[in-house]
Amino acid sequence: MPRDEAGTASSPQSGTVALASSKTRLAGYWLTAPTYFWLGITVLLPLAIMLYFSFLSKMPYGKVEATLTLANYATYFEKDFYHFLTWRSIMLGFHVTAACVVIGYPAALLLARTVRGRWREAILLLIVLPFWSNALIRIFAWTMVLRSNGIVDQAIHAVLPGAPSIGILYTYPAIVVGLVHSFVPYMILTCYISLQAIDSSLIEAGRVLGASNLTIFRRIILPLSLPGLFVGVVLIFVPVVGAFMEPRILGGRQSIMLGTVIEDQFTEVFNWPLGAALSFILLTIVILIFAATYPLLRHRLRLT
Amino acid sequence: MPAAPRISAFGYGYLAALLVFIYLPIVIMMAMAFNESSNYELPFRFSLIWFEQLAGNEVLWRAGRNSMLLAAVNTVVATVIGTMAALAFARYKVRGHAFLQVLLVPPMAVPWLILATSMLIFFYYTGIGRGLHAMLLAHVALSLPYVVIVVGARLQSFGVDLEEAAATLGATPLQTFFRVTLPVIAPGVAAAALFAFGISFDQFVTSYFLSPPGVTTLPVEIYASIRKGFTPEINAISTLIIVLSMALLLLVSRFYRFGGR
Amino acid sequence: MGHVEISGVSKRYGDVTALDNVSLSLENGEFFGLLGPSGSGKTTLLRSIAGFVHPDAGRILIDDEDVSRIPTHRRDIGMVFQNYALFPHMSVFENIAFALSVRRHGKAETAERVEAMLRLVQLTGYGGRRPDQLSGGQQQRVALARALVSRPRVLLLDEPLGALDKALRQQMQVELRQIQQEVGITTILVTHDQEEALTLSDRIAIFREGEVVQSGAPDRIYERPRTAFAAEFLGATNFLTGVPSAQEGAVGRIALADGQTIATLDPLPAGPRSSGSVTVTVRPEKFSIHLGARPDFGGATPVNCIRGTIARQIYLGASITYGVSAGGVELVVFEQNREAVLHPPGTEVWLSWNAAHSIVLED
Repeated sequence: MPRDEAGTASSPQSGTVALASSKTRLAGYWLTAPTYFWLGITVLLPLAIMLYFSFLSKMPYGKVEATLTLANYATYFEKDFYHFLTWRSIMLGFHVTAACVVIGYPAALLLARTVRGRWREAILLLIVLPFWSNALIRIFAWTMVLRSNGIVDQAIHAVLPGAPSIGILYTYPAIVVGLVHSFVPYMILTCYISLQAIDSSLIEAGRVLGASNLTIFRRIILPLSLPGLFVGVVLIFVPVVGAFMEPRILGGRQSIMLGTVIEDQFTEVFNWPLGAALSFILLTIVILIFAATYPLLRHRLRLT
Repeated sequence: MPAAPRISAFGYGYLAALLVFIYLPIVIMMAMAFNESSNYELPFRFSLIWFEQLAGNEVLWRAGRNSMLLAAVNTVVATVIGTMAALAFARYKVRGHAFLQVLLVPPMAVPWLILATSMLIFFYYTGIGRGLHAMLLAHVALSLPYVVIVVGARLQSFGVDLEEAAATLGATPLQTFFRVTLPVIAPGVAAAALFAFGISFDQFVTSYFLSPPGVTTLPVEIYASIRKGFTPEINAISTLIIVLSMALLLLVSRFYRFGGR
Repeated sequence: MGHVEISGVSKRYGDVTALDNVSLSLENGEFFGLLGPSGSGKTTLLRSIAGFVHPDAGRILIDDEDVSRIPTHRRDIGMVFQNYALFPHMSVFENIAFALSVRRHGKAETAERVEAMLRLVQLTGYGGRRPDQLSGGQQQRVALARALVSRPRVLLLDEPLGALDKALRQQMQVELRQIQQEVGITTILVTHDQEEALTLSDRIAIFREGEVVQSGAPDRIYERPRTAFAAEFLGATNFLTGVPSAQEGAVGRIALADGQTIATLDPLPAGPRSSGSVTVTVRPEKFSIHLGARPDFGGATPVNCIRGTIARQIYLGASITYGVSAGGVELVVFEQNREAVLHPPGTEVWLSWNAAHSIVLED
């Protein structure tokens, strides 16, 4: 039964437990105060300071006076090196995300619509399980698999002496493999959640209306699972574009990305203003890519 | 989707291949922790030598203690203040919440590298500095959105009716919270706490930038060792971490199913 | 104990007026039904009494104490929610004992009072169950027992039977009424089900757009509705519109659109109104159907008799519902199925009814 009054369920006055309105407002504020404070000093202020920093001529250190300048951004736009790096980072994000969609979505579909009962529960748990262990360790583990004359190579050559080496460690594909391994569970989980929420009567209705499996997938299942797919894409693309640890470990000399250059500015070169400017450029790119894709997806996302 | 047996067989084959992909590196890494060779060479000869060496590695143990401490404190702080915020969002709506909800997005949607370096700059120039306290600030910030989402989902799943009922029965707001709201959202709070623990224990990027020399966590120490050169000792500690975290999740998945019904 | 006084209560949500200057007075031990369509304000009033809604104006007094500024948990009320709102993590016993345990009553006393409540709602032996192990009707009883255990001054019922199927709802109505009378508690019921309101209530108030349209004993409102809304909301009815033609002592005469004249014992509006017309309502069961020549009723009591044609019939077994074209409208007429004779559409009939049942409406 729907609630009787227009405003009762959602109005601030009714969403409370026995408190006068002013007390309610007070509770609303002090309950969120710690979170406000915390995110203020860890997100809001740092990002603001970093933006300021990106316009400084040099590190303000001791007596060194820094002036405001656009030089850091100019450096980025003048040097092809940075354009190349940016392109590489975006391509890495694109390749890894695409691979996760291709591998993860069918798995989520199988789990949500074909596999039933205990098996479904067990396989889901098995997929999530390593995802809870350290990301660094999982990347490290790939170095043993992918190095030439590594453990897998040795095993293969023991059986097939003439087989080619699968040693791709310190190449671009190694970075992609490691990152896909790290992030594919995100894609499986977010897609699974939206796929299993699809009412199976919708699919039955589609079938009754004479739709083929392909049509049902294209017209019902895919549109309804897009929100999950989109969330998965965001959760994967964003960290991959900013990755530095994975390229360092798996990429060797191939490892230079925008993320690793930013890391260098903070840990090796100590040019924080340039690092800050590069960070903001990276952030802008991430925001622009999602701003560009969001309108395309928005009317689809409204479906659920 | 079609449940025809042939397609199911193909489907199970696909899922099996996926699981092999997921577990292959982990299993090989764990196996190498028990292999005598320091260069990961075959044939496999069982040995506990790397675990013995690990037992004597003071640096790794200290880093491990730091990681545990950090994760434990992070779990408590993030779960408590995140639950408070979720409660405010769900039950005490006021203006200003919209801004906070926007503020909760960056920890999830901005690359951690950017957050970590911006905190490094801010903490450095405000005198907060680097160290475990700075890492705690960062870890809690990264955990908060997850806590708010998980607890918030649970709060949403039951309406205000239970709390209103408690009030009509004479329970004060505090009694209502501890005797009705908290028990009902307990599974969500437990899941949120687990998330918070995992995020902190797993957290490398922010810890890496915010750790001063000598004060490290396990991931930071492992990263340093990997970059110096591989050693099966890292396999040994990694094996321990993986076994521990998987055991923890298995435990919780039992408990969570319990609480969920 | 249990006297509720609502005076001038108003509540607005933005542009929506949920309650508009509502005043009601409840006697101790009375069962009072708030009836109205969705959005009419009845739930807002109930929630104001509970303390979940804070009125913009007016006062709510319980036993002469103004509770407007008192939070819910100190208002000493009991409430049964639409979906029962039983605590899922507590047993039936713990649910019922909740009001006592937050007031820190002793163990022995609590056990005794909870057992008494379980007996009252006929659930002895169910104390150890979980709410999700109970049927809908049983959950409803637990909710009632939980609300009553602390002996509150007022019991608030928010569509308490809405989630039950029809047969169970009727059974629970009887039990609810019995328990209410046994306990003797002042009770306020919110419902949109007119039958439920009629069955349970000593008095009812009909709400429309935040205002009380009419209040009083159910039979008073049913027999003498003051407005078309009240007449229509409480049971089926007919409306006949005409022009006052004569006033002969207590009997007023009204000329209908088709030229026929009907009588009413209600006073006709004094002086010509703007439109000059009046609307009369007649309940479908007040009519008698006659075939053949115009029946003669003698002159003693004023009886209406108009000519009409059967337009449609609906056979319901125990009764038959006819649509009869008469007086320029189609009237709904109920006839008890005594003779097992149906009048086919097209039959010319006479409709008669006592002039006392021609109710002149205010608007």
